[in-house]
Parts: sequence; C-alpha cells; structure tokens
Amino acid sequence: MSIERTRNFCIIAHIDHGKTTLSDRLLERTGTIHERDRQDQLLDSMDLERERGITIKAHPVTMRYRSKVGESYLLNLIDTPGHVDFAYEVSRSLAACEGALLIVDAAQGVEAQTVANIHLAHKQGLTIVPVINKIDLPNADLPAVHRQLEEILQIPAEEALEASAKMGIGIEEILEAVVHRIPAPQKPVDDTLRGLVFDSVFDIYRGVVAYVRVFSGNIKADQAVKLMSNDSRYEIKEVGVFTPKMLAQAGLKAGDVGYFIANIKTTADIKIGDTITDQRNPAREALPGFQEIHPMVFSGIYPINTADFEHLKTAIGKLRLNDSAFVYQPESSVALGFGFRCGFLGLLHMEIIQERLRREYDMDIIATSPSVIYEVLTTRKELLLVDNPAHLPDPSVIDEIREPIVKAYVLCPNENIGDILQLILEKRGTMDHTESLDTRRVMLHCELPLNEILVDFNDKIKSVTRGYGSMDYEHAGYRAAKLVKLDLLVNGEPVDAFSMIVHRDRADARGRQLAAKLKEVIPQQLYQVAIQAAIGGKIIARESVSALRKNVTAKCYGGDITRKRKLLEKQKEGKKRMKSIGKINIPQEAFIQVLKTQ
Amino acid sequence: MKSELMSNGAIHNCAERTSAHPIRHVYVHIPFCARICPYCAFYKERADPAQTERFCLALLAELESSGLRLNLQPETIFFGGGTPTALSTSPLRELIQGFGDLLDLTKLVEWTVEANPGSVSPAKAQMLRSLGVNRISLGVQSWDDQLLAVLGREHSAAQAELSVQILREAGFTNLNIDLMFGLPGQTAAQWEATLARTIALQPEHVSAYCLTYEEDTEFFLRRARGELRADEQTDAQFFELAMQALGSAGYRHYEISNYARAGYASHHNRGYWAGEDYLGIGPSAFSTIGLQRSQNVPDYRVYSDRVQAGESLTSSEEALTPQIKRSESIALSLRTSEGIPSHWLDSWNDEREEFLSLGLIRQDNARVRLTERGKLLADSVAAAFV
Ligand SMILES: Nc1nc2c(ncn2[C@@H]2O[C@H](COP(=O)(O)OP(=O)(O)OP(=O)(O)O)[C@@H](O)[C@H]2O)c(=O)[nH]1
Ligand SMILES: C[S@@+](CC[C@H](N)C(=O)[O-])C[C@H]1O[C@@H](n2cnc3c(N)ncnc32)[C@H](O)[C@@H]1O
Ligand code: SF4
Ligand SMILES: [Mg+2]
Repeated sequence: MSIERTRNFCIIAHIDHGKTTLSDRLLERTGTIHERDRQDQLLDSMDLERERGITIKAHPVTMRYRSKVGESYLLNLIDTPGHVDFAYEVSRSLAACEGALLIVDAAQGVEAQTVANIHLAHKQGLTIVPVINKIDLPNADLPAVHRQLEEILQIPAEEALEASAKMGIGIEEILEAVVHRIPAPQKPVDDTLRGLVFDSVFDIYRGVVAYVRVFSGNIKADQAVKLMSNDSRYEIKEVGVFTPKMLAQAGLKAGDVGYFIANIKTTADIKIGDTITDQRNPAREALPGFQEIHPMVFSGIYPINTADFEHLKTAIGKLRLNDSAFVYQPESSVALGFGFRCGFLGLLHMEIIQERLRREYDMDIIATSPSVIYEVLTTRKELLLVDNPAHLPDPSVIDEIREPIVKAYVLCPNENIGDILQLILEKRGTMDHTESLDTRRVMLHCELPLNEILVDFNDKIKSVTRGYGSMDYEHAGYRAAKLVKLDLLVNGEPVDAFSMIVHRDRADARGRQLAAKLKEVIPQQLYQVAIQAAIGGKIIARESVSALRKNVTAKCYGGDITRKRKLLEKQKEGKKRMKSIGKINIPQEAFIQVLKTQ
Repeated sequence: MKSELMSNGAIHNCAERTSAHPIRHVYVHIPFCARICPYCAFYKERADPAQTERFCLALLAELESSGLRLNLQPETIFFGGGTPTALSTSPLRELIQGFGDLLDLTKLVEWTVEANPGSVSPAKAQMLRSLGVNRISLGVQSWDDQLLAVLGREHSAAQAELSVQILREAGFTNLNIDLMFGLPGQTAAQWEATLARTIALQPEHVSAYCLTYEEDTEFFLRRARGELRADEQTDAQFFELAMQALGSAGYRHYEISNYARAGYASHHNRGYWAGEDYLGIGPSAFSTIGLQRSQNVPDYRVYSDRVQAGESLTSSEEALTPQIKRSESIALSLRTSEGIPSHWLDSWNDEREEFLSLGLIRQDNARVRLTERGKLLADSVAAAFV
C-alpha cells in the first residue's frame, strides 16, 4: 500500500476503558480475524493479561480497510496498556504513530491516565480522535463526558465519536475517522533506512523480535543493518507484520509498522528507542529515542527451597530476556539464603514477575517487602544508593537519608476533596495546588514519597471515591526525610529479610505491629522465643512465643505406628523447610505472612 | 558394591526366615459398638445382629488360613475394637472357643478383651474368664457423669463401677481401666477426682490418654468450628497430674499413656513397642510381619465377602526398610520406661546434646530415657531421629 494510504495509530485510555475490546471490533470489522478465531480481548495474548483482564504489553497489529468510498487503506494499530506501571509502553507506541484513538469510558468519564496519555500524545504531535466508549452502559452520561472533554482536555464536543466496543456500535465511524482525520505518514526525505525500534519481545524459537516503525528507506531479509546506538551489526533474517500473529513479508518500507528478526541474542542487546539503519548506506543521525526507564521498586526474590537457587537463576534470566525493564542481581540474606535483588517499574510489574516465576517456571519463591531506592549521604559526604534496607549503613555514619518523591495528580469528584486531602496527609504528602477541571471534579496536584504510594494509595483513592477517583504520577527527584531502619530480632539476632526503612514517626507502630505478627506466626519451639523490634539498636517492641509444653501422640499401637512415623517425618520435613535463625526455626510461611503485613 | 550385596542378602534371609519365625502376638478387631462416640476414629459400626454370625465365622476362617501360612505361637491375644463385648454372649463364646481350637495356646500368657461398661453381664464375664481370657480392658474414660455425657458415652459412672465389680467377681485379676483427659470443659479437680476414684478401685493397670481430636470425627469438626477448645497448657498439666497421682499410688509409668502395678505391664502392647511381629485379624486390622506391614479392608461386610470368596483381605501394604524399622524402634522405645541404648543415637550427637541440655532426656547405664518434661514432648524428641 502506498504511504498515502497508510495510517498508524494507537489506542490510549485510562485503565479498563475498553481499548482492547475496541481493538477486537476493529480487527473483526476489517476482516483481520475471522469469526471462528474470535475471542474477547484477543490482543491480550499473554496468560497473565488474559487472567487479569488487563493489557501489560503494547500489541501492534496490521489491518486492511476499505473505506466507505471504496479506497483501500493499510492500518497499523497498537493497543497499549492502561496501567501506570506500563506507561512507558504507551510513550514508545506513540512514537511509532501519527494518531491516537483516545478512549473515554462513558460512565467513568475522564480519569487521571486519560489526562496523562493525552499530554503524551500532544507532546509527540499526534492527531487525537476521541472516542466515548461503553455508551451501552445504563449509567453512561454522554453530556457529562462531552463537557469533561471540552473543559478538561479542550477537545471540542463535536469531535468525539460515540461507541460501544462491546455491542459493536460506532465501529465503522471510528475506522472512517482514522482514515480521514489521522494524517498519512510523512513522505521520507530520502531512501536511507531509518527504523525506530519501539519494543521487543523474546521468542524462544526465533530469539529477539524487534518491533519497528520504518520512517524512511526499506528493510528486508538478508539486509546488512546496524543499530546506531552501539554500532552493533546484524543481518536481517526476517521482516514481517503482525496479523496479530507474526507474518513474514518481502520487506517493510517507509511508513510501515512491523517486526524484524536478526541474530540478536537477548532483549538486553537491543536498546528500545534505537535506530536501525543500513550498513552500506547508513543514516547520519539517529531518530529521537526514548528516555531510559529505571526500575523504581525493589524486592528480594528467594527460592523457598535453597536447593532451587540455580533453577531460580535460570527462570529469572529467561524472564529478563523478554522484559528489559526488569533488572536483577544476586544477593544473599542470612535468613533466606541466596537469591536476587530485583528492580521493577512498580508494584503491578513486581506482582506480575513474581506470578510468572511461580506459574510459568513452577518456582516456590518468597519475596521481601518492596522497597524504593534511597540516597544516603554519609558523614564523609559520600552518596550511597541503597535499594535493600539491610544494606543501610549504621546510623552513626549517616548524615541524611533521602527518599524518592513523585508528583502525583489525583482526579476526584468535588465531594471527596476532604477525604483525599486527608489521605495525602496520611501518606506524608504535601499539596501543591488544586485545579478545578469542570463543575464537578478537581485535579489535586501534590507531592508524595514514592514509598508511601506503592502499596495501597490507588486502592484507597478508589475506595474513598467509590471508583470515581484516579491518580497518576511522575518521578520528581529525591528529598531528605526522617527515615530509620527498623529491624526485627529473633532471640537477639536481627533477621535481615525483615529489615525495612520507615519514617521515624511510623516506626514504633510498625515495629509493634510486625513483632505481634511474628509472634502469631512463629510456631512454639522447645525454648521460649523472644521477638523484638528495634530502631538503631533501641528496642521499641517486644513479644515472646512461649516454649512448647506438649507434643506427644497419646496412642501408639498396631496401625498407629505407621501414622506416628509419618507424623514425625512430617514434623522433620517441616523443620527442614524452616530457616534456622539463632537456633530458632522460622517457617517460610512466617516470612510470607510477615512480609505481607501492610 | 560388595557390602550392598551383602546387606541385600541379609534382608532376603530375614524374609525367608519370617515364614518359619513364630508370631507371638495376635490382634483381633471387632468393629461393633452399641453407640458411636463423637471423638472415636477407630473402624467401628453399629452392631447388626443379622450379620454377626457370618462375621464371626469370617474371623475364624481368616485365622485358620493365616495359621496355614504362618507359624503362630501366640503369647498374647488382644480382642479390641470397636467393642468386642458388644457381641452377645453366645457368638462371643463361639468366637473365643474357635480361637482356642485353632491356636496352640500353650505359650499364651495374656488374653485381653476390651469391654465397655454396661456391656459386661456376669454371664459374659464368667464365660470369658472360663475360656481363658485373663485380662479385661474397661473403657471407663471418666468417673464424672457430666463428662461422660460430653463424650457421648452410653454408660454412667455407677454402671462402670458395677462393671468393675462384675469383672472382679468373675475372677479377673488383671484389669485395665482406660481414662481420657483434656476433655472439653474438664477441670483439674474433675480429673483429680477421676484419678482418685480409679486408684481406689485398685485396677492392676491404667491407661490415661490425652483426648486427641482425630480427623474425620465429630469432635474434630466441632473444634475446627471453634465449639470445642483444646488447650496445650491444660493437657500438659493434666498429664502431670496423672503421673503424680498414679506414680504415688504405686503404678509404674511404663509408657507415655500406660501405668501398671509391678508385673502387670501389658505384654501385648510391649510387643508393639519392641517392634515384634504381630498378626491382625479382622477388618481394618494391621499386621507387621518382618518388613511387611499390611492392613485388612476396613469394612466388615466386604471383609466377610472376601473371606468367603477366598480373596485377599489386604487393603494396603507397606514395605518397611531396616532404616524405617530402626527409626520406629527409637520412637516407640523412647516412649517406654526402658528407653533406648545410648549408642542408637550415636549418629545424632548434636541432637542428643541439645535434648540433654534442655532436660528432655537423661542418660544413665548407657541408656537414654525421657525425663518427665521429655515425656510431654516425646514427639518433638523422636522427630529428630526419624
Ligand atoms: N458495557 C461495556 N463494557 C465494555 C465496553 N468495552 C469494554 N468493556 C468492558 O470493559 C472491561 C475492560 O475492557 P478492556 O478492553 O480490557 O479495557 P482496556 O482499556 O484494554 O484495559 P487495560 O488494557 O487493562 O488498560 C471489560 O470487562 C470489557 O468487557 C463497552 O463498550 N461496553
Ligand atoms: C480402641 S478404644 C475402644 C475401647 C472401647 N470401645 C471403649 O470405648 O471403651 C480404646 C481406648 O482408646 C481411647 N480413645 C478412643 N478414642 C480416643 C481419642 N480420640 N483420643 C484419646 N483416646 C481415645 C479410649 O480411652 C478407649 O477406651
Ligand atoms: S470409643 Fe469405643 S465405644 Fe466409642 S465408638 Fe470408639 S470403639 Fe466404640
Ligand atoms: Mg487492554
């Protein structure tokens, strides 16, 4: 198809507004998928996506569309994730497109990620086609959503299309708007190959599959190419498009979106945002790339059975092949043995990795509480980065601890402002300003410690606002805070896996809570077990588990003998699965329970 | 390689010998009860008089065929249940007679029958005594009517006392009384009173079991629902009360749950704890012969059918190894007052030292025994040595 008849667009929205469902309809309406292959949220092809009903990775797909007036078009759609943790997937996808379908849920209206995503799209100069989705819902409020589009996003009401992805209403209109409103890719200035690598996946059979948007020139099999960031050279094995399955093509040309496969070993070898060009006729300058993404949340992952370390290492390595946002390095813990300190983009990303390890790799793992990276200024004026509370230096050599801060945007109905302000205060946040969006809703601009919003901030906003509030955030540097390390000691020995960095004002309560939890989950032993919580050597809470007094089978005759032996074997086996700390046996379950305590 | 061959040879030899090896203990399971207790996990059913004759014949048939296979030279016979005395006098007589006919009883020293208070008439008692039964184990459980009701028992304390009298009058000079403690709502005073009244009746033997919430029982469910509460501290205290009271009344605490006057320790149970072979007859009964442990089908109708059809009665089998036997021996012998030879623990030096320092075991005359405190933690100790 000629470049004039090509349209590249992505679908962006707040989480769950119906992007993937709308993609289903577009795929069907264009005949890209056949009736018999139909399934809901077809593009959410990963198991985890299907199970959680959310999109995690951007999914490109190429469609052919014959417009009302009979012209044929090549449409490249990219469905994107809505969750904040994967916002980087959205910005990358936008860079491969000229336009974006902005979906807004007719009942929920504009939410925080709607605002964030439209800003991203504007920044990249994309044409936006607003679509109000889910108009079939009984509580759809079209006039209100139109007002919000105008007042919050400055989008003229008449531009918005109305649709129901679920019922298949308004699909034709959307396709027509795509071909008529979204511009064709710009004609290339020359025919030098310039392709933007905007994502990659690892396929066990084919190695790295790079997602590419070609801006100029051609790319085809056997071509000698290079990546401009590091001058690494490859020979193209295959190029093709997504239908959504990979389908090999003779070549990709300027304006196209597709993939290429070369002999690239791991996704770590290819920088997302890199420019691919021809070895013999290289481009002089690379296309603008992307800001590198850095993991923000860290947690230790350990095998429950220490003998599984090698197995875990392989599994983590494989996951990393497919997910360059996930980083890890080996670490060891007195309590948990050998494992890995892993970095994630956010809590959802962390949960997903942990779940994949459990499910796809059948690993029994235990994860320490999530932590952010702290900057520690020592008395000798060195700046240390600490991503593991156990590595925090002694308080006597610490001058200052700084924690990562985010600028957060909370969008909520007017009547919830009080509760949200309260919540922000509870989370040690500070208000910057309040912006009223329309007559009913406000956007609160605030700053919060990242650590405080990791776990339940979003859930709390949802519950306070009965689902009508939402939030988004961006990183905003570091700020000094009164932070201390809280340790838990079992019979006088600190258990490194339980150490955490907390705000001084919270430390006592947290220490008491954790000590009490630990008392609950440590089984009685042959001796009394002392549990203490301490801040810098000062005990702030203590509990004790009294010594076991009775553990004896009453009857032991005939058939009881086998039963008794099995029982003893079980007790012994159980003990093997426990970590022994200062002679005290702590079951894995206890670690899990305590690490889960919020 | 060589040593492996040799040890295999040894097992083989041993297995060969077993068939000729005399079996000295026979257990017989009578699965009938007049009423089903809500805490009991033994295989038992409400007695159906229409089925008992066929069932008793099946027991004798099993015994007979076992006698052909094995070298039976019983020193002890134990009729347990269920409630053997739930059989009425005449079928029970035929059964006991049948055993006498089929077995060579010249070496027999102890023949126990379990009885529930209220199910032993003077006639039944006399019949048992006259046919060679010389020990009765009476399931009194408690001398407190209120607690007997909690346990869902059919009898009262008065009936239990009458049963003791009947048995004595029938000439039984070896009487065991089963007690349970740690009952729902039981107070220390109630338990002390039960111990005192037991002692006053001067049985030769007392078994005092801590109530166990066995899976698949009503009590287990009720505890899971929070209706019944088990308390480790109380159980431990009651256990200590039993050791004190029975100890000072002249009973030797010769196994975790068993106390006896000199010379009256149960030979049959000693056989189990010493790891000796035993043959189990009847539904659900276990046998251990050499390194083979097996269980009969736990349904008396199926059992009777299979006996009639000449089919195998085994429902499950377990091949033991010398190692398993050894760790069972440690666990079982540790429960007894004899304890174990110290050298059995030579490969567990650290554990032995730890238990010694915790005061759970003591070591003298080259034997290791549980201390009073250790008896309460016998499973924790034994678990280290499996
Ligand atoms: N009633 C109604 N429900 C819809 C419509 N479109 C989508 N849904 C439902 O909304 C939920 C979310 O749909 P998705 O398509 O997964 O939303 P998404 O925007 O792709 O979600 P993320 O990828 O997780 O951000 C699903 O339960 C859909 O069935 C619609 O037009 N009407
Ligand atoms: C094999 S039972 C049957 C004896 C007889 N049918 C009776 O109930 O008196 C032997 C003894 O086990 C004890 N027993 C039964 N169930 C028990 C339980 N759940 N916990 C502790 N002891 C139990 C009782 O003391 C009982 O007398
Ligand atoms: S405790 Fe005795 S009487 Fe009660 S059900 Fe069990 S075997 Fe029968
Ligand atoms: Mg989606």
